[in-house]
Amino acid sequence: MEKNKLIEEIREMVIRFDEEGIKRVAHQVLESGIDPLEVIREGLQKGMDIMGEKYENLEVYLPELMMAADTVYAALNILLPKISVEAAKKLRRGKVVIGTIFGDIHDIGKNIVATLLRINGYEVLDLGSDVDPKLFVETAIKENAEIIAMSCLLSPSMYYMRDVVQRLKDMGIRDNHYVIVGGAAIYPAAAEQIGADGWAKNAEGAVELCERLLGKGGEAEKTPKK
Amino acid sequence: MVSRLLDVLDKTLTGKITTKKEWDIKIVPTRTRSILKEHGLEKLFDPLNPINTDLSLADEFWEAGYTLALELGLFCPETERIVQFTENEVKESLQNAPSEVALGFGKDKITIKSRRPEDPKPPIAAMSALGLSVSEELYIPICQSIAQYRVVDMLLGATLDKIHGREARSRTPYETLAGFYEAVLVKEAVRRAGRPGMAVFGVEGAPTEYGFFGGFGVKGGFEPERSFAICLIPEPVILSYRILHRVAAATNVGAPIEAGHMLTIGGYFGSPEGAVVGSIAAQILQAASMFPTVVESTILDGRYFGNCGREAVWATSVSHQARSRHSHAMNLGITSQVSGPCTDMILYETTSISIADAVSGVAIEIGTRPNACRYPNFCSGLENKFCAEVLRASTKLKLSDANEIVKTLIPKYEGRLKDPPKGKSFTECTDLKTLQPTQEWLKIYEQVWKELEELGLQRP
Repeated sequence: MEKNKLIEEIREMVIRFDEEGIKRVAHQVLESGIDPLEVIREGLQKGMDIMGEKYENLEVYLPELMMAADTVYAALNILLPKISVEAAKKLRRGKVVIGTIFGDIHDIGKNIVATLLRINGYEVLDLGSDVDPKLFVETAIKENAEIIAMSCLLSPSMYYMRDVVQRLKDMGIRDNHYVIVGGAAIYPAAAEQIGADGWAKNAEGAVELCERLLGKGGEAEKTPKK
Repeated sequence: MVSRLLDVLDKTLTGKITTKKEWDIKIVPTRTRSILKEHGLEKLFDPLNPINTDLSLADEFWEAGYTLALELGLFCPETERIVQFTENEVKESLQNAPSEVALGFGKDKITIKSRRPEDPKPPIAAMSALGLSVSEELYIPICQSIAQYRVVDMLLGATLDKIHGREARSRTPYETLAGFYEAVLVKEAVRRAGRPGMAVFGVEGAPTEYGFFGGFGVKGGFEPERSFAICLIPEPVILSYRILHRVAAATNVGAPIEAGHMLTIGGYFGSPEGAVVGSIAAQILQAASMFPTVVESTILDGRYFGNCGREAVWATSVSHQARSRHSHAMNLGITSQVSGPCTDMILYETTSISIADAVSGVAIEIGTRPNACRYPNFCSGLENKFCAEVLRASTKLKLSDANEIVKTLIPKYEGRLKDPPKGKSFTECTDLKTLQPTQEWLKIYEQVWKELEELGLQRP
């Protein structure tokens, strides 16, 4: 099958979130000797761009977006091992540990952010809601995550975000991880009090913030110490 | 009531097992989509008419929502089981739902009654700095500034940031103490406003059950005779033990329960139409599982997390119309603005959603919620007085009149929903000695009322 047709098919499968189909086509890509990097950029990434636009226009919704992200990752699991280490490094956007802070069980806003990060190429470890500050830190260390992202809707839970930052400081590893915050209870001055590296008002803003912090998927401005 | 609650708890231990992810991204959206298709209710949102005027459409949505409630049930995250109800259980719970309730003491006592679309009696205006974090020293002045207006029927407190200078951290004994402290402050505020027996809600600033246990139904706390027990589910079809703890505690003291849920357009129920059937199903399921006196339904737009854009206003109007026509249960609407005090935008937003809710049959309306409750102390009494006035004025409107007014208002602010003006804080737009609005804020309020009068809304 010709390259353009396969890329087109990959893009369509992202939009239709056809996880089984995309695995089959990803194998076909490899068998045909087509550059997987091109397929990732022109097929997967463009497919997710289309999904992002559709979400903004209320043509698709959060569940579809989450399934499309799963579809992309199903293809990436097959394609990534076949590209050069250097190319894979360039593609990699970063790893984010995300969750709703302790005492707060609201999670839809956090889920939207996690999904948009995933479709923009970030590896996301979602800890869920009502997450203990200690778990954010432990997971970030264990997974070598560049970013800890916390959401908070209820202001009495906001204080625990500061505990995460304090814990990083007390352990002497504050410079190893960016900390970003968001959610209805959070505003710029609160982010400052928490000691976060950034604040985002909405999901698109969270993606932009991560891109700013990590340098648009290229070389990170702040490289975690491994 | 206790035996019914025990039956619900039993269901959380015996229902079908699933995972939260499966529930969120497979079961809920798949069932919602297929119900919309089966009932021919896809793509009916009409952007040109933000308030639905076709009550037969609302009836069709009720049928679909009812079916969805029976097919879907609720997910219990602690046991990872689906809690389902039989049709008899659902019917019985709707029949048992109260159609009126009296709250408060003495001359301040009020009666809340079930309403229908275009009902000539006004909904109860339960005003607030809803969800906002408020400084300890400003808590009483802010509540008093809202309660001072006689057009406001009930008071809902804000969220306290500190208790005697200490952070009111959730799920700690600080929160337990803060729950009680909130009750003390709210009651002092209404006393200072000259309305000591005013009906209220509690505990607003309780992110977990600890604050609720600390402040509700205890001696000196929120009395069940004057207070709704707040038992809100963050997601529409999730039945967490953390909420059932509150239901159990409220049941123990015989308190009227405010159940409720937040549902997001663009979220698990998808489209505006999906949000309508989801909110109807959620109301039915909450009646069956929590035995509430009122059910709050908040349909927010996930793109800006407010409910004053045309999609959210439309979905909210259809949902309330459907629910108020097919059940005598009392519905509670909410205003969730994204702009702040001392701006014309917050008044336009308030008008759109308040008119939509009032004319669609809510029994009680809560708000306001400036800046989607993001900025501490960004609230005032005046936007609440305004909201209560609009609710009263709406009783003279037919659905078609309401739609015409809202059609004119939405274009004034919809371009700013994602980047709204923050406005001014309480101390910047209120005279702290008199608790009256500043001249600047009053001028904006008068100007917007003038515009509304020109559009046909009669100022009460």
